[in-house]
Amino acid sequence: MKIQPAVKQETAWIAGGVMILTGIMVLVFVILGKFDYTVALGAVYGAAIAVLNFFLLGMTVQKAAEEMHGVQLPPEEEKEDAGSEGEAKNEAPENPHVREAKKKMQLSYYGRMLMTMVAAALALVLPIFHPIAALLPLLFPRIVIFIRGMIQGKKEA
Amino acid sequence: MLELAIGIILGCCALGAGCAMIAGIGPGIGEGNAVAKACEAIGRQPECKGSVTTTMLMGCAVAETTGLYALVIAILLIFVAPNSLVGILLRSIQ
Repeated sequence: MKIQPAVKQETAWIAGGVMILTGIMVLVFVILGKFDYTVALGAVYGAAIAVLNFFLLGMTVQKAAEEMHGVQLPPEEEKEDAGSEGEAKNEAPENPHVREAKKKMQLSYYGRMLMTMVAAALALVLPIFHPIAALLPLLFPRIVIFIRGMIQGKKEA
Repeated sequence: MLELAIGIILGCCALGAGCAMIAGIGPGIGEGNAVAKACEAIGRQPECKGSVTTTMLMGCAVAETTGLYALVIAILLIFVAPNSLVGILLRSIQ
């Protein structure tokens, strides 16, 4: 399957950001005097899992978007009144393609969560990985997205 | 008595990990809903596919981190907390 440019670009952004943040984390370990080979291995392992998780998310999103290829939905009707009656009318039955995409996404989420759980458990059990150095990079993609949003917001302003 | 205390510690750690993982259910449902709405948007306006995919990807990644926080807490409760808590208990007895 061909990877969409949007997914490639976003994964590259996240991978770059996670690498920078992982470098900062390792630097903090060096400054604290707690750096050894387990920290380096754990950092690489955690960063790889974080990027892989994001890439798999991107692939699922791409598959979900491609599910809609050739499917033309009617334009959304404008809400006439915002009351409870209007809201009830707006609850149209879901398109089967949309339902399929939703199911795929939920299944993929639980699969990825399971993969991350196994990876994190391995990082804690195996003595070659420093637990904190391996677990912290899993949370870096959100920080990267937040920082990127801030930078883009400043540029637009 | 000591065995009972250790058992309570282990049981509470396991219960806490289970409770923490409840937070892992929400992002799955939320991501599914977000993707469903994004697919509807793509179906209505196929020319916006690229931008919708990018926005959806970022939104899903942010939503997923909540589940990851819960996962990290649960794993710490299972693998790290019991040892340190039992250690504290044994030190306080001696």
